[in-house]
Amino acid sequence: MDVILGLRVADATIIATSKAATRGITVLKSSDDKTRVLNPHNLIAYTGEAGDTVNFAEYIQANIQLYSMRENDIELSPKATASFIRNQLATSIRSRKPYQVNVLLGGYDVASNTPTLNWIDYLGTQVELPYAAHGYAAFYCTSLFDRHYKKGMTVDEGLELLKMSLKELEIRMPLDFKGYYVKIIDKDGVRDAGSL
Amino acid sequence: MNSIAQKFSEANTNSHLIDINESRAQLSTHEVGSLAPSISVPPISQPTAFLRAHTDDNTNPDCKIKIAHGTTTLAFRFQGGIVVAVDSRATAGNWVASQTVNKVIRINPFLLGTMAGGAADCQYWETWLGTQCRLHELRQKERISVAAASKILANLVYQYKGMGLSMGTMVCGYTKKEGPALYYVDSDGTRIKGDIFSVGSGQTFAYGVLDSEYKWDLTVEEALYLGKRSILAATHRDAFSGGSINLYHVTENGWIYHGNHNVGDIFWDIKEQEKSFNNVLSGDD
Amino acid sequence: MSRRYDSRTTIFSPEGRLYQVEYAQEAISQAGTAIGILSTEGVVLACEKKVTSKLLDDDGSAEKIYEINDNMICAVAGMNADASILVNSARLYAQQYLKTYNEDIPCEMLIRRVCNLKQGYTQHGGLRPYGVSFLYAGYDERYQFQLFTSNPSGNYSGWKATSIGANNAASQTMLKKDYKDDMSLKEACELAMKVLSKTIDSSNLKGEKLEFATLSLSQDKKKIIRKIWKASDVDLLIKDTGVLDKIDEE
Repeated sequence: MDVILGLRVADATIIATSKAATRGITVLKSSDDKTRVLNPHNLIAYTGEAGDTVNFAEYIQANIQLYSMRENDIELSPKATASFIRNQLATSIRSRKPYQVNVLLGGYDVASNTPTLNWIDYLGTQVELPYAAHGYAAFYCTSLFDRHYKKGMTVDEGLELLKMSLKELEIRMPLDFKGYYVKIIDKDGVRDAGSL
Repeated sequence: MNSIAQKFSEANTNSHLIDINESRAQLSTHEVGSLAPSISVPPISQPTAFLRAHTDDNTNPDCKIKIAHGTTTLAFRFQGGIVVAVDSRATAGNWVASQTVNKVIRINPFLLGTMAGGAADCQYWETWLGTQCRLHELRQKERISVAAASKILANLVYQYKGMGLSMGTMVCGYTKKEGPALYYVDSDGTRIKGDIFSVGSGQTFAYGVLDSEYKWDLTVEEALYLGKRSILAATHRDAFSGGSINLYHVTENGWIYHGNHNVGDIFWDIKEQEKSFNNVLSGDD
Repeated sequence: MSRRYDSRTTIFSPEGRLYQVEYAQEAISQAGTAIGILSTEGVVLACEKKVTSKLLDDDGSAEKIYEINDNMICAVAGMNADASILVNSARLYAQQYLKTYNEDIPCEMLIRRVCNLKQGYTQHGGLRPYGVSFLYAGYDERYQFQLFTSNPSGNYSGWKATSIGANNAASQTMLKKDYKDDMSLKEACELAMKVLSKTIDSSNLKGEKLEFATLSLSQDKKKIIRKIWKASDVDLLIKDTGVLDKIDEE
């Protein structure tokens, strides 16, 4: 059970993913990065069935990069990327062996200078949201975000809110997620904001 | 009328183009995947369910096929390379089928694969991996990286996902570029790079000893002992692990075999030496 | 000598030519003229209709200008039957892209896809190339208004003003002379009319024999307006530009 959280602030999108890779009752790795950079302003964070997750994320990554190679380095916008991913999952769910992967897509639209956060599940549901989460973490964090999220927060305020929600998970969840990687997507692209 | 228009509106529907594309496809399919023999799948909609019904001795003790399962395998990276240690017991249900199974597969002089889960699956696909690695060497005039080798295996098992393959393996090796490298690959399609892994029914017991005494700066001798000792711990507590311990050390010059150690023989020596295993009474007590 | 190489599109002649492709291009230079001009406010496409008979029941609908999607139109020179197949593919590609990306297809990408289709027919055995050249007028976020042409070989190129079909060399010379970078859409329409008036038979210079279409932005710059002109609008433009009077004077 992994934690993936996303938060859109005034001029950036923040994504946090848990570092534990768990199989059965064993934590196999405590520095697992559950994200892939799709292009300079798009980052996908994933959770779901073992094997499917990485395979799907890398498949999407390869296709988004292929698009840029073919189209003279044009970056696919976050909205178009989200639609593409939704389409892949919507096709997959109707196949014999569907991908069981839920994702968050953090992006920054360079054309309109807006940060975006897309929530997409394995059924092919796609919504643009100010904050979002997948898995059990969503049960604790969405209400917390509902209460404390404000429009037009700065990146620092966003990180504070993120810390608050991770603290809540620490208090209430019976598992240790071995910390979190935090990524920020803004006008300068995707950057690593260390771990919490 | 419409069908005529349809025929020419998509290039692929044209028979000439199909011919050309097919012949082109044939020319370019000598890549990795095609060398994998295709394995026929039972003609039913859910191969997994079928397999489970006939092989799962947990839910159905009367099942006709019992797959060898219990195991403890481990590998860890340290200052002097990688230590690989495995037990040698094969069980089918509660029956100890063998005490002398070789659970380390020598993919080539620089690569080792460990075996947990279905013995046949591991043996077959890791040997196949050896073929792929050799072909890579011939084509690229360079030894394959551990990252690439493990990815070939991960992609292969991912193709068969949900069809009943059962493997939990560690691919260990050394290349100039990567140094000592260790990957965990299982039949879910998971592939994780790491420093310490243990796989099998006895994994928790092995981890217990391994994590408590592991340091990056271990000497080779210490590391080999720790590997052996961790498997011993697992064979002691896990009924499905036992027999003997096979030890390997992966260095920049390839792997070195450090012998087969019968659990029954070394247990008493180690207990004596370490003053450990105090739950067990020896003849002297 | 060259006869042996005529009938096969896939085979180069000893001089290194593909006769079938050249023949297709030749066929187009007999077809009705089509002119495209890019302006600051939009793109105009203008063409000459080759109405074959008085008895033809002309419902006034466009014959050589097609809408491809919300932000693209095209004009055709060459075989109309071939064109409608390609236009159908173009529309399909545009919708496929819209379906997967929820965004309009970039103009050049669509044109390249259609051109790839055309190219296939110059290389694979036993096929006849499409006898069509296109003028595409399009708008996308990245490059705003654009004008492209493509020909049967599968080549395409972007232009500020160009023409295809009969007399295209003469038209292009005129366009080169009179084109200005800062033209308004109205001025571009007038220029198109002027060029047409000099390259086609003056008896054809009337609304029902000409087709005009423009692509422009709405007042608030949020919507793309594709306008295929009615014959009466064209007549109005003829009157405004006074091209008929000039011809009479001469």
